[in-house]
Amino acid sequence: MTVSALTRPGERDRLVVKIAEIDWLFALALCLIAGAGALMMFSIAGSSWDPWAAKHLSRFALCFVLMIGLAMIDLRVWFAIAYPLYGIGLLLLVAVEVVGDVRMGAQRWLAFGPFSFQPSEIMKLGIVLALARFYHGISADSARLSWWLLVPAAMIGAPTVLVMHQPDLGTAMLIAMTGVAIVVLAGLSWRIIFAGIAAFVVAVPPLVMFVLHDYQRKRVLTFLDPESDPSGSGYHILQSKIALGSGGFFGKGYGLGSQSQLNFLPEKQTDFIFATLAEEFGFLGCFSLLFLYAAVIFMALRTSALAHSHFGRLSAAGTTATFALYVLINGAMVMGLAPVVGVPMPLLSYGGTVMLTVMIGFGLVQAVRVHRYSEVTSGKGALM
Amino acid sequence: MAEPSIFFSEVNERQGVFHRRMFLLGGIAGLGLGALGARLAHLQIIETQRYEKLSASNQFNFRLVPPPRGLIVDRNGAILASNRPNFRLLVTREDNSTDIEGTLKTLSTFVPLDEARQLRLIKDIRQTPKRVPVSVAEDMSWEEFSAINVRAPELPGVTADMGEVRVYPHGGAFAHVIGYVAKVNREDLTPTGPNSDPILLNPGFRIGRQGVEKAFDLDLRGKAGARKVEVDANGREVRQDEAGDIPSTPGKRIELTLDVDVQNRALEVMGDESGAIVMMDCRTGDLLCMASSPSFDANRFVKGLSGPEYRALAQYERKPLLDKVMTGTYPPGSTFKPTVALAALTAGIDPEVRIHCSGGWYWGGRTWRCWKHGGHGSQNMHDAIKNSCDVYFYQTALRMGPDPIAKAAHAMGFGQIFDIGIPGQKKGVVGSREWKRKAVKREPVWQPGDSVSYGIGQGYVAVNALQLAVMTARLANGKKALNPRLIKSVGGVEMPHGDDAPDLPFSKEQLDYVRGGMVAVANDTGGTAYRQSQLGLGDIQMAGKTGTAQVRSYAGLASRSSAGVTWRLKDHNLFVAFAPVDDPRYAVAVIVEHGGLGGATAGAPRAREVMRVALMKDPELRSRIETAMPMPEAPEPMEAEGVAPGAPTVTPAPAPAPAAPAAPTTTTGGAV
Repeated sequence: MTVSALTRPGERDRLVVKIAEIDWLFALALCLIAGAGALMMFSIAGSSWDPWAAKHLSRFALCFVLMIGLAMIDLRVWFAIAYPLYGIGLLLLVAVEVVGDVRMGAQRWLAFGPFSFQPSEIMKLGIVLALARFYHGISADSARLSWWLLVPAAMIGAPTVLVMHQPDLGTAMLIAMTGVAIVVLAGLSWRIIFAGIAAFVVAVPPLVMFVLHDYQRKRVLTFLDPESDPSGSGYHILQSKIALGSGGFFGKGYGLGSQSQLNFLPEKQTDFIFATLAEEFGFLGCFSLLFLYAAVIFMALRTSALAHSHFGRLSAAGTTATFALYVLINGAMVMGLAPVVGVPMPLLSYGGTVMLTVMIGFGLVQAVRVHRYSEVTSGKGALM
Repeated sequence: MAEPSIFFSEVNERQGVFHRRMFLLGGIAGLGLGALGARLAHLQIIETQRYEKLSASNQFNFRLVPPPRGLIVDRNGAILASNRPNFRLLVTREDNSTDIEGTLKTLSTFVPLDEARQLRLIKDIRQTPKRVPVSVAEDMSWEEFSAINVRAPELPGVTADMGEVRVYPHGGAFAHVIGYVAKVNREDLTPTGPNSDPILLNPGFRIGRQGVEKAFDLDLRGKAGARKVEVDANGREVRQDEAGDIPSTPGKRIELTLDVDVQNRALEVMGDESGAIVMMDCRTGDLLCMASSPSFDANRFVKGLSGPEYRALAQYERKPLLDKVMTGTYPPGSTFKPTVALAALTAGIDPEVRIHCSGGWYWGGRTWRCWKHGGHGSQNMHDAIKNSCDVYFYQTALRMGPDPIAKAAHAMGFGQIFDIGIPGQKKGVVGSREWKRKAVKREPVWQPGDSVSYGIGQGYVAVNALQLAVMTARLANGKKALNPRLIKSVGGVEMPHGDDAPDLPFSKEQLDYVRGGMVAVANDTGGTAYRQSQLGLGDIQMAGKTGTAQVRSYAGLASRSSAGVTWRLKDHNLFVAFAPVDDPRYAVAVIVEHGGLGGATAGAPRAREVMRVALMKDPELRSRIETAMPMPEAPEPMEAEGVAPGAPTVTPAPAPAPAAPAAPTTTTGGAV
């Protein structure tokens, strides 16, 4: 197949062509990250595939297939389901408020027969698609500074407040920051950006003091002074730093991390799996992993830059922003640079929901890549 | 970008803004990742040593290993206190969520744990700091131990281990001297000093509570070792690192001067009686026996005594918990007479000046009775000691006044606390003019009548059994003011001997004279304890002095006999003795509380039995016992003493010894 062949009409709609258009280097990076996660899970389970490693790998395999499948879906379909998905996500968030299960002290889960899931995960994708679609329909001037901006403000505000109320500070932050990232990418006026940053800086201390739940406030305060309570709230941060620091340059060796093997490290297979890896593989391992993450982020951003439609650009970039936020927040938390919030390291951490969300997002990114020449209507909804 | 689809300039403007902003956000993400990398480098390269240390202190833990408590042995190395293995069941509270009730319920299927005990343990475990094990059951059988060990992994916080427990193989025989160990109380723990040692929190640890165990607690304790173990976050042991173990230092071995056989025999002969027997080596001052009766089983105190058990001991009128050797003080009665005699000799009173005893002496408006109603007749000092004539000593004491007697009494060791290494001695009372001025506020002036009773060891004089033995040993030694010694060595270091002492302030002749009187007491057929003092060991003879300590006023009583009187009101019965008379080796003092009148009845036979054990154990004397004895001739028992035998006279048959059914005897010497 030659490049010229791709210019033939209809050629790009062929499945083989579509599959070939997927960024396979990107896919390889994802596989490496997930593989590293499984490797660590195997180690901390005492060299056993049970209970985490095997499940992690099989889940990833399913999600990977799903990602390829989603990449085949035309951008116009994504465009069409953007608002409905956002609407459903918002409805479910309200539903969870009313009938949701309380697990581990927070109301986040909604049960559908044997399945239970967190509607906030749908919202992570929903907010990206909905905002991308909205900005697709307005002019650069409107996106810069106009009354139209009240719409994205409301679109971000509603789910953020609902998720915050569950309470799930990590996800709420993630949704809000993803939304803000898209708004900024779409060309928000610098004046508003700086004003927003200033307002945020002023608003955070009272917010921490009066709006947050006790346990959330405690996490933030302990973060500011972790030594104040080394066996209580500061325990997680301290143990994580010990795991990281004691790993040194080369690490303690595979299967020899005492912090994780002896359970000093909390949540060692989920939120703190990065510390597990850091302990056993040291700075070399950590640096390689961060490099992989950086590669994933920049390949995804490049994909977004390739897209011809504004919807494609914004949705791919927004998804990438979510992913990057995951990595940065979790990394900062594990290294003691941020308070402990329940944000996992994507693909590395054990846990099906986040993996599913992230891989659906990457499905969207690949769909943008595969369909980067697709025209999406500039109108308000109908397929072209 | 040669795509034909871009035809809106506005769209191109949107694209331009997006690209610029995307580079910006990409840059921010890059910066963020770079910051993470820098942080990693900081933690993992620059600060790694600090975190390695923290990680190691997380991972490795030192578990204290209690040191074996030092042994306590007698003078021949026989064990008086040792340790035996003990299978214990321990429960540790790992965090506040540990289900203690459930755990105990499960454990009750393995070992007997009734409801009440479970409740008490739950309280104990809650009060104990986290991760400090609490003992739930002791002395489990091997079957119980192994059954629990197999199940232990499923029972969080439960461990079964082998500890050591103190054991006293002779039960109660040494309970007062050695004392016992017991659980550590909260009050024992101090923030500094030796009792701040964390080993005290170890569930098997016991602290010395009485006697030698208490006084030498720190020597016996030893130094705790440690076991290096790898633990998980819950403090549970994962692996053991034997190379990192620090061995414990066992406690020091303490050697006492006591002799197991003598002590056991002493307690045996005391039977149900209440009292004390003290034996001392007349040459070295070593204490061979310090028995207080009745005693108690120290092993029960190690386990912890139940309330009713303790009350039964504490409320018994014969006071098993009281150490009658050191803590109980008694009027010495007639056992004080040798001391008074020494005082008289020092004061220049001629021992051959005779005093007539008619069974009483009218002086100061009342009659001072002699124990013998019929009277002793004419008595010199030797006779007066032999017969324990009260009238002689009434008059002699009155003549001297209290101060020479007090001086002699102090010289003989009365009114004094000896440094024998363990606490608990009562000083007693040695009366003198000055003492009375200070101590008796009600009537500070010494009355002549006080001297009269002082002469026979009543009134302002009280002594303990140890002092009596010291007095006897000093008298028997004939030269040195011996000090008693109980602790022979601590950890192999010999303690100072008791014979490293100044000489007595009496001449050899004076001491010989008084001893001669005591020889007569036991060997002169007319002596007050002749019949009870025959050792039956060849030619070895014992010398002694009887005594009766009055516990009630005899005024208005027809008879001083104790027969038929309530136990509590009977006289104390005392006896001091030493043997062999020709070369004194052992001195013994016996006090039988409420044993009845006259030291011969209750005290002397017991002294004799204990003395026999000590003599027969002595290899030197053993050979003497085994040599052929010359055929008995006309008894001349006092020849060896160098005392001028008095003109042998036949006296009328003496009145029966008060509390003993006596056969009339004929004396052959001494009496006039």
